[in-house]
Amino acid sequence: MSHAVPHNSVKHYFAELWSAVSTTVRGMWITFRYVWGVKIVTVEYPEVRIVLPERARMRLFNDAQNCISCTQCALACPVDCIYIASEKYPEGTELKKASNGTPIRLHLTQFVIDTALCCYCGLCTTVCPTECLTHSHDYEFSQYTIDGMKYDYLAPDVIAWRDRIVKA
Amino acid sequence: MQNKWDIDGHAEPHTVNAETEKMKSDLLTLNMGPQHPATHGVLRVEIKTDSEIVAHAIPHLGYLHRCMEKHSENLDYRGVIPFVDRLDYLASMSMEWTYVAAVEKMLGTEVPRRAELLRIMTVELQRIASHLMAFGTYALDLGSFSPFLYAFDEREKILRLFEEVSGARLLYNYIWIGGVWNDWTDEQLQRVGDFCDAFEPETDKYHALVSVNKIFLKRTVDVGILSVQDCFDYGATGPVLRGSGYQWDLRRNMPYSLYPEFEFDVPVGTGEHGTVGDCWNRYIVRMREVKESLKIIRQVLKKIEPGSVMGKVPKVLKLPKGEVYVRHECPRGELGIHLVSEGGDSKEPYRLKVKSPCFTHVSMLPLMAPGQMVADFVATIGSIDIVLGEVDR
Repeated sequence: MSHAVPHNSVKHYFAELWSAVSTTVRGMWITFRYVWGVKIVTVEYPEVRIVLPERARMRLFNDAQNCISCTQCALACPVDCIYIASEKYPEGTELKKASNGTPIRLHLTQFVIDTALCCYCGLCTTVCPTECLTHSHDYEFSQYTIDGMKYDYLAPDVIAWRDRIVKA
Repeated sequence: MQNKWDIDGHAEPHTVNAETEKMKSDLLTLNMGPQHPATHGVLRVEIKTDSEIVAHAIPHLGYLHRCMEKHSENLDYRGVIPFVDRLDYLASMSMEWTYVAAVEKMLGTEVPRRAELLRIMTVELQRIASHLMAFGTYALDLGSFSPFLYAFDEREKILRLFEEVSGARLLYNYIWIGGVWNDWTDEQLQRVGDFCDAFEPETDKYHALVSVNKIFLKRTVDVGILSVQDCFDYGATGPVLRGSGYQWDLRRNMPYSLYPEFEFDVPVGTGEHGTVGDCWNRYIVRMREVKESLKIIRQVLKKIEPGSVMGKVPKVLKLPKGEVYVRHECPRGELGIHLVSEGGDSKEPYRLKVKSPCFTHVSMLPLMAPGQMVADFVATIGSIDIVLGEVDR
């Protein structure tokens, strides 16, 4: 740099001026090149959507028909946002089987996830033995009230989402 | 620096004249933040100014306090990982690895070689992403907007890779006790290599845009100077310490994991444009570290071999009685995790103490601020690159 030149000299003044102009022009030239021929990297969100990766962790979805009420997800959850209740089937009921062959011994009476509390860490989905609790790719679920963020996966309207939400 | 403003020791005014004089010399209290873009989060700095000169700066912390340490005492060891993610949310991988390394040290787990290499790769990628963020926001602080966009363009590519492999963009929960969650496919590793090749010329663009720019130099050179002795006194680490010209990198000086196998340099501030330890040196150290990280990633890609990514870990984690302190080199400095376990049937940590580098650096603000212009103070805050999630915890 121009430290050898005395700071009050005319030469120093013009050297400073020249370096200011030249470096600014150099930077502006880089920006200017972006006017043409550079691919646009942003997307216009509501119309264009980026395809999410296979492992993307969005809203949780529980396939209640497959759930064996083992409560492992509720135990693994670091923020305790999964509420499960179940009761025993009466004696002599023919037990249904989950997708991996495990008999469903308990009748699931409540499966609620408070999505407002959920931190999307994915720990609950890794412990699920029947893989009924999964992260869906659904990320547009804002609500007007905080109660609306509680999803009851036994409610008929949520069950009706199954085909839309569950990963293929 | 000698502080010539003595806020507490004003003499009693005896006459009207003396009172007027006192009013003239009084300091104006100004609150910077907590909703101030230049404070990088919710930091409030109470500054006392004498016209345009900062006389005192007192950082007020705690706006992002989430009781993380107390929370983790009621969580199982795996459940803490999402919480340590949220410490330094711009470098979650590094945070996870430090915590996981502490647990593994107590368990005595053998981590498979592939998992360890993948950890090094993700952490170095994360370091690049974090330094890009630091570069972009620092340029933004000093009034140039477009470097921010260029930096985010490249950072986005890294985050996309992380999203594909872990499922989340910022709070990954990817590095697990015993290994890593998911394996990278060959195609993804190939893309990491491609990214390295494409990214290397981009850094030259950043230097041309910002590092040598005269306006940037005028704003950062000889501003916020920290001597090595100051850094030692306060316990500064990471780019702040290296910017002062002291070569200290835990990856090199106290190697952990597989770092001894890798060749890389530890860049230090050299003071081309002014004094060593000023804002420009801290900035340029980060930019040079990005290149070193690229070197490490390329070596990882050469060394990597197929294998398992998860070691043998019991399903229910119970740690033996004892305590451990692990520190790792994170993008912002040295993160330390002090983990205490009761032993017995306990599935939770007895105590988890986090030693945060950003907290140390924030406490250096009162040292650097006196005598600076207010605008230079903004440059100083930006140059230490703090993340408030880590300061407040």
